Amino acid sequence: MRAPAFLGRLWRTRALLWGLLVAAIALLSLCGPWVVAHDPMAMDSTSQLLPPGRHHWLGTDPFGRDILSRLVWGGRRTLGVAGAAVLITVGAGLLLGLLSGYFGGAVDEAIMRVVDVMLAFPGLLLILGLVAVLGAGSKALAVAVGITGVPAFSRLVRSAAMSAREELYVLAALAVGCRRRRVITRHLLPNIVGPVVAFATVQFGWAILNASATSFLGLGESPSVPEWGSMLNLGRGYLRAAPWVSAAPGLAITLAVLSVNMLGDELRRLFDPALRWQGA
Amino acid sequence: MVRRKRLLLGILVAVIALLPSLAACQAGDAEPQKLVYGLTLIPSGIDPHIHASSELGIPLSNVYDTLVYLDPETGEFVPGLATEWSVSEDGLVYTFTLRKGVVFHDGTRFDAQAVKFNLDRVVDPATGSQKARYMLGKLDRVEVVGDHSVTIRLAAPYAPLLDSLSQVYLGMASPAAVDKWGKAEYQFHQVGTGPFKFVEYIPGDHLTLARNPKYKWGPELLRQVDSSVDEIEFRFYEDPSTRTIALESEQAQIMGEIPPQDAGRIDQAAGLALHPVAIPGQPLQFFFNLSRPPTDELAVRRALMYATDRETIVETIFGSWSPVASGPLSRVTLGYVSDFEGRYLHDVSRAQELLEEAGWMDSDGDRMREKDQRQLVIELYHMGWGMVPEVVQMIENDWAAVGAQVNAHLVSYPAALEAARAGDHNVIPFNLFGTDPAQLGSFYTSGGGFNFSHVQDAELDELLGLAAASQDLPQRLELYRQAQTKIMEQALVLPIRDYVNLNASSSRVQGLRFDARGWFPLLSEVQLED
Repeated sequence: MRAPAFLGRLWRTRALLWGLLVAAIALLSLCGPWVVAHDPMAMDSTSQLLPPGRHHWLGTDPFGRDILSRLVWGGRRTLGVAGAAVLITVGAGLLLGLLSGYFGGAVDEAIMRVVDVMLAFPGLLLILGLVAVLGAGSKALAVAVGITGVPAFSRLVRSAAMSAREELYVLAALAVGCRRRRVITRHLLPNIVGPVVAFATVQFGWAILNASATSFLGLGESPSVPEWGSMLNLGRGYLRAAPWVSAAPGLAITLAVLSVNMLGDELRRLFDPALRWQGA
Repeated sequence: MVRRKRLLLGILVAVIALLPSLAACQAGDAEPQKLVYGLTLIPSGIDPHIHASSELGIPLSNVYDTLVYLDPETGEFVPGLATEWSVSEDGLVYTFTLRKGVVFHDGTRFDAQAVKFNLDRVVDPATGSQKARYMLGKLDRVEVVGDHSVTIRLAAPYAPLLDSLSQVYLGMASPAAVDKWGKAEYQFHQVGTGPFKFVEYIPGDHLTLARNPKYKWGPELLRQVDSSVDEIEFRFYEDPSTRTIALESEQAQIMGEIPPQDAGRIDQAAGLALHPVAIPGQPLQFFFNLSRPPTDELAVRRALMYATDRETIVETIFGSWSPVASGPLSRVTLGYVSDFEGRYLHDVSRAQELLEEAGWMDSDGDRMREKDQRQLVIELYHMGWGMVPEVVQMIENDWAAVGAQVNAHLVSYPAALEAARAGDHNVIPFNLFGTDPAQLGSFYTSGGGFNFSHVQDAELDELLGLAAASQDLPQRLELYRQAQTKIMEQALVLPIRDYVNLNASSSRVQGLRFDARGWFPLLSEVQLED
């Protein structure tokens, strides 16, 4: 894959556009806490449920807290949980998928049956179950969402590894006496990195959604700690009286998930040889 | 071909569109008047003798009559199925003369035998009553004296007995129907003597009542009028944010527990009416656990009381609809005393002083206090309903301001009860409703079933024990005053707001009233104007 051609395609697809949007959201959440004017936890009984205006750009919630500040701080936590979850998913998924795909046979059988059992549960149910065991809180939530993503991810890695396993260059590497570890890390892994990156991106969107859903249900941090999901839940009761309370976190989740998913889609096109020339 | 299909489709659409009006023509004027009443949670069971849910009483207090009624206007007991009653000098024997000519919805005659059957059913351990049996005190036995005369004998005096007998949980069910359906099935086929007959209950979906045309024996407060509605369907609106919308879109005509943030809009809306009803019993309150540090220290409990800005909490979350609570009973409850109204007003410096005197200092500058290497951390368990999570957020904020960190745990109801019994909590919200102060007994005596403060106080046990047994009202009230003073001095409970049930209805609904307990509607007189 020559670099100029890749960059050219990158430019022609919309990956860059969505990527920039994702980067902007991430940057805002990361640096925002130093930029926003208000304390996200400070209640003020004199400024409750103010509509968006000059002092509070996105208005205030029923406790008089500034929604923009909470949104930014909440983004940090929500995206942080989702990011940590994806790292767990990718780490465990790669390990299991590569082992399964490379060795096949009994190893594959054992890993895939466990994966099948986990896939039998709906995602959110599995997350709720894990949170019930691990206890509420950001760390537990990240672990639960991360583990729940592992089965599908390891499936993907496995099938990619299995097809790469039969490629001539792998057979050649084995024939010249490369050790298994070297074959896996130097020959298999680089050749499946495309779909892995694309899927991990989509997984990130999924993790944002599920982390938010779980905190919406009240299983994240305590409700005073800003999180997009719990902010949305708070706003739900004020949908008619003060729609901005739920609109801000709702739109934030939508925008974040949408742009991450679109980026994932574009990346998939970019890396998938079959789709390589379509629409590019 | 295409055209013919279109024609057929057109005819079909026209027929479907006309069907309802055709049906209406046939029914003519005799069309039964039907009303939809929105309930707010799905009870786990609805047999009032067995289950404890408050929600079940909303429909069923219109299906069952009780021996006596508590008049919401006067606060006096008035005749119901019993026309007269007398209590013996020692408070152990209650004799009731029963009304004649009363018939259950299934045609069974109501008599002394039926009363005995019902009370025996309630106390029978096999029935597994969760609430009703505890409302009878130490019941010795029920004796049939004559066809229409019955005697209730107690093993110990129990002053709230009449209050208990005026509640749906001790309503009179048809012995024939109870025997026919058995314990598990009876709740789906309930038969009483009230103004409405039980038609159908599909759990989680609907419960239907139909007017009882033979109802002539009701007390004044349950009288029927000719134009009262024929059928009432109860539906469930568990999500508070859907309730106002259901009223506005006329899916329902009456709705309970409107969220406070919607109340103002309903109050001002043209086609809707708001009915705020103050609920007697205990306010929304948080118990301090005396068996777990740091709330085992009186100074800490008092400091947390002073640190809580109740006025602002109530104003922010409940608006102007609920009064700020000051003691263990709400204003409209028998035995309420106003002694505590000026106590524990928001005073941050007082709270800080108390904590410092008790040795809780912030020595490491993290704005949280500690003493003997222990942080001032408060474990707070709470449930997710009734705006409690919102209140908890504000309490967290208030307490952090004086250097106490709150660990809030949002848990399910059974988990909260479990935590409260085990004593894992420092603070937990809980309350019951009821018109009689006897309810304080189960919360503040050492052996009480809801002793979530884990209080062991001989003096309090004695005061509450004497009060529950006393037949002399002024003496009873004095005992309860002393008990409440002790409760507040010991800072066992942090009261937040008196409950006011915000009911709402379409303005077409006329004649809607509520019983003395505030939760249960008296539906016999309800009419639907066109």
